[in-house]
Amino acid sequence: MKITQLSPLIAAILALTFSGCAKKNGASLPGGGADGDYVSGSALPDRQEGVSFLGSNVDRNKFAPIYFGFDADSLGGGEQGKIAQVAAFMKSASNTIIIAGFTDERGTPEYNRALGEKRALSVREALIRAGAPGGRLQTVSFGAEMPADSGSNESAWAKNRRAEFGVVR
Amino acid sequence: MKQFLTIVCFFFAGMIRAEDTPTITVSKTDKLSIAIAGLGGADAKILQDDLQRSGFFSVVPAASAAFTASGSSGGGALNGSVADRGGKSVLSKTFDGSARGRIHAFADEIVETLTGNRGFANTKIAFVGTRSGKKEIYTCDADGSNLVQLTRDNAISVGPCLSPDGRRLLYTGYHSGYPDVYAIDLGSGARSRIMKYPGTNTGAVFSPDSGRIAVTLSKDGNPELYVTGSGGGGARRLTRTGGSESSPTWSPDGGEIIYSSDDRGSSQLYRISASGSSGRLLQTGRSNCTEPNWSPDGKKVAFNTRSGGGFEISVVDLAGGGARSIGSGNDPVWGADSRHLLVASGGSLILLDAVTGQRTTLLSGVGKISEPTWSH
Repeated sequence: MKITQLSPLIAAILALTFSGCAKKNGASLPGGGADGDYVSGSALPDRQEGVSFLGSNVDRNKFAPIYFGFDADSLGGGEQGKIAQVAAFMKSASNTIIIAGFTDERGTPEYNRALGEKRALSVREALIRAGAPGGRLQTVSFGAEMPADSGSNESAWAKNRRAEFGVVR
Repeated sequence: MKQFLTIVCFFFAGMIRAEDTPTITVSKTDKLSIAIAGLGGADAKILQDDLQRSGFFSVVPAASAAFTASGSSGGGALNGSVADRGGKSVLSKTFDGSARGRIHAFADEIVETLTGNRGFANTKIAFVGTRSGKKEIYTCDADGSNLVQLTRDNAISVGPCLSPDGRRLLYTGYHSGYPDVYAIDLGSGARSRIMKYPGTNTGAVFSPDSGRIAVTLSKDGNPELYVTGSGGGGARRLTRTGGSESSPTWSPDGGEIIYSSDDRGSSQLYRISASGSSGRLLQTGRSNCTEPNWSPDGKKVAFNTRSGGGFEISVVDLAGGGARSIGSGNDPVWGADSRHLLVASGGSLILLDAVTGQRTTLLSGVGKISEPTWSH
């Protein structure tokens, strides 16, 4: 019982530590995983068969997308209000939410697919920190596919660097 | 007595060498002159194109050629031979397979016999094309012929990887609404979804013996590298970072993997044992290094770097020394000769000679082409 109460706290501390400082400032440990054994996110729940972000039983317009800086996967301060809204909804309802991560077109394909997933996972971790249950939070990355704006300019790219929320009805 | 034995050994060594096929070392841009005889017009053209595309030959009239390649077809086979200027036979062999395939095989044999380098004429290519309006996987031969639309998922089908023998293909398909890894047996056409872990399943690549697959999965909460069995099961985690790991590529002996990670900010290349341990930074002197591809000779890695608004292909020698840029393009993949790369550029499939920098458009008109993969 004590362990189950403690683990979300530990996860939150780890998530804060690594998303907040280790990333993008050169202070992380040398090499890919030279430190050994930390996990920077929490394990994803199994998928529900037949349910996906693009499915007809998913409401993709209930919440505003979260936007990201160029090549970034951390959440800006201005996006925290949106996270609080989604977390509040999840605490009051039992729906599963699928978070879809997207990138702008300025990146190579596999890199963009990984970055889109990282963005979706950053949002997922933020929701978990805000009290949303991780067991009802799925992620999917579309990389640079399905841009919100098909233009090739800064205004379009800013709209495309996003994570969208799909509420499973 | 000892001295006598040594002399005898030298004598025999000399005899063996005399029996060997002559191997001529071709360096840099030197080309061997070769003439084509005996083959019909269309077949001769296929062989000529193959030999010129190899980068090692210039095809010239018989009078000025150092070698003459002759072929005669019959009974579904091709008898191919090569003689030097003095008329001495240096190659004589029978090739079977499809009508074009046996000419490609003859071309590769000529390349290997006369230069000691592997040829790539008799190989398969796969890539993503958008001709149907959706991203689908297409295949063709190494000369751009035999174009086939492989998938008709009407979803997003990306990230193809051919097995080294060209018989199987992995790709990332969004048919389920999630990125899953599918495997297709190109002989039978049978397809199976081999990875559908929660989150992302992408960047799957066969090990050199096709017995394992390296892949990016996020099931444990972060995009990390995993190695699975050839059927996609038993995923074993290789990396543990706060960043995203992508684009694994295997060493020729299957013992190591090079990949891209943004764990330290700008994406860099890392090298890790395929059985685990920790990733070591691969010094390239560049930032934003993505989509690495390890050459079949094991000596170098081609990768993408950002350049202005577009992308450049860079090559780093694993023996040391910085990376060099060899032209614009995306998603480089080495051919069997470890000299030529396929890259996507301007929506076309480009053959890029990493030695001379020469670019040849292999295929266009399949919509926007991206993410080539090449069998060996």
